[in-house]
Amino acid sequence: MRYYSYFPGCSLEATAVAYGISIDPVSAVLQMELIELEDWNCCGSTPYGSTNELEAACMAARNLALAEKTGLDLVTPCSSCYVTLNKTNSSLRSYPELKSRVDEALAAGGLKYGGTVRVRHLWEVIFNDIGLDAIKSKVRNSLGGLKVAPYYGCQLVRPDLGFDKPEDPQSLDRLIASLGAEPTAFPLKSHCCGGSLVISETDLALDLIHQLLESAASNGAECIIAACPLCHTNLDAYQGLVNMKFKTRYNLPVLFFTQLMGIAFGIEPRALGLDRGVVPAKKALAQWL
Amino acid sequence: MITKAYLMIKMVKRDGYRDALRDLQAMPEIKSVELVSGEYDLMAMVEAPVTVAVVAKKIRERGWVERLYTLGVETVEPNPFLDEVCSIPGGEGVLKCVQCGMCTASCPNINRMVYSPRKIIALIRAGRRDEVLASNSMWVCASCYLCTVRCPRGVKPTELMHALECLAVQHRLSNVRTSTPAMYQTFVGIIRRNGRIHELGFMGRFYLRTFFSKLRFSALRTDPLAAVRMASLVKMVPMGLALLQRGRLPLRPKKIKGIEQLRDILNKAQSLGEVR
Repeated sequence: MRYYSYFPGCSLEATAVAYGISIDPVSAVLQMELIELEDWNCCGSTPYGSTNELEAACMAARNLALAEKTGLDLVTPCSSCYVTLNKTNSSLRSYPELKSRVDEALAAGGLKYGGTVRVRHLWEVIFNDIGLDAIKSKVRNSLGGLKVAPYYGCQLVRPDLGFDKPEDPQSLDRLIASLGAEPTAFPLKSHCCGGSLVISETDLALDLIHQLLESAASNGAECIIAACPLCHTNLDAYQGLVNMKFKTRYNLPVLFFTQLMGIAFGIEPRALGLDRGVVPAKKALAQWL
Repeated sequence: MITKAYLMIKMVKRDGYRDALRDLQAMPEIKSVELVSGEYDLMAMVEAPVTVAVVAKKIRERGWVERLYTLGVETVEPNPFLDEVCSIPGGEGVLKCVQCGMCTASCPNINRMVYSPRKIIALIRAGRRDEVLASNSMWVCASCYLCTVRCPRGVKPTELMHALECLAVQHRLSNVRTSTPAMYQTFVGIIRRNGRIHELGFMGRFYLRTFFSKLRFSALRTDPLAAVRMASLVKMVPMGLALLQRGRLPLRPKKIKGIEQLRDILNKAQSLGEVR
C-alpha cells in the first residue's frame, strides 16, 4: 500500500463529483491510500491569483502548511489546483519578500510552512509510482476496439513541470493502450478548453471547445478522457451549447481517465459515477458495461 | 535621472572570465554582463544614478582590466509603471523580452485581445500604464501556458498577465468589454466567506450580477446587443438543469471548519499590503 495526502479540490464536490466517485474504487485496486487533507480550503485558483498575489499565495500556503504536517506527498486530481499549489511552492522559493509576508500571515493563523511539500497530479502519481505494467495486470475487462481520444488539456502538462511533454504528451495515450483500447490521433490534445473563462467569456470558450470536439470526432474517437474537472465540464456540459452555436451534432461522451480505468478493471458502472455525464456514456460503452 | 551605457572591456588574461564576471556582478550599477568575442572580451550594461564615468573609472582600476571603452551613453527616462510591474512576482520577465512574437503566435485567444501579449510587453516598457491596465488582454488569457513553454527568453507571459490583472484590480482600472473581472471577484468573495467554492452559488451570483449590471430589460430599447446577451443567458438554463439533475450542482455550500483561521490569515495578508 502506498500512502498520499489527498487534495480533492472544490470541483470534486460538485461538477466533477464523478471524478471523486471513481477515484475511490480505482485507487483501492491500485493499492493507493489517498488520505484526504483535513479541512483543506480552496487552492485560490486563477481568480484569486489574478486579484491579489499575496492573498492568493496565503490561500494555497494554508493547504501546504496542513499537508506538511502529514509528511506525505500532496496529490490532487485537478490540474488547476496542481498548477496553483505548485506555483505557490515555487514562488515562495524564488521571492523571499513574498515568503516573509506569507510566513507572517500564516503565523496569524497559528501555522508555519517550511516549503517541503511535493505537490503532484493524481495522473502523474498513477503513471510514475504505480506504472502501466501494474495497471495492465489489473485489467479484467479489456476495452478492445474502443477508440478513445486522450485529452490532456493545458495545466496537466504546462507550465513544464517535467512529467510529460508540454505540447505532445503521450502518457494518457499509453494508458488507453494498456487498458486494451485504441488511442486516437488527437492533434489538439493539449490545446486549451477555455477553463473558467467559459463562464465570463462563453463565446470565446465555445469556439475553443468546438475545435477540440472537431479534432477528436474527425479522428474517429468514440469517447474522450480528461484528467481535469474544468476540461471535463467544458467538453461535457457545454457540448450542447457548441452544437447549438455551430449547428453540429457532436455526441461524444467525456469520461475521467479514472472512470475508463474502472470500466477496464471490471468495476460496476454505478460505482464509477458513469450516470453523471450530461452526454450519456452508456451507448458508446455498452459493449463493456 | 539615470544614465545607461554599455562598457566594452578587454581583459589582461582571457582565462579569468569567471572571477571577472563575479567581480562585475557584485557591483550594484551593473545590470548585466555578457561574454563577447573580437576586440573586447566582456560587455557590461550599466545603469548609474549620476554618471557612467564613475562606474567606468572603478572598473578600469581593476587589475584584470587591460582596456575599457564606453559605448553609447544615454539618459533613461524614469518608468514607474515598468518598475511597478517588475516588482510583482512574475512581472520581472518583461525585461528579458526580445519582441520575437512567439507568445502572440501561440495564444489561442489572440483574436479577442485588444493588444497582443508582445504589444502588451512593448507598452509596459514604453510606460503606457493606462492603456495596458484598461485593456482586455489579460482578462481573456485562459492561463494555458503555451506562450510560457515556448518563450525563448523565459519571460513567462502567463504570470505577467496575472500580475497585470492584480495591478488593474488594485488601481481599479476596468475594461468594459469583458466580465472576467466580475467573475473573478465573485469567486474570491465566496472563497473568502466559505473557504471553498460553491459552484451553484458562484454561477448564480455571477449571472445575476452581470444580468442586473449590463442586461436591464430597459436596455433592450437602446442596446441592440442586449437581446443577444439575454438570449445567451437563457441558453444556459438547460445546461444548469442537466447538471442539477445529475447531482453535479449541490444546493448547499460547504464551509470549512477553520474558516476563522483562514480569515485571520487573509486579514493579516491584507494588512501587509501588496508584495513589493
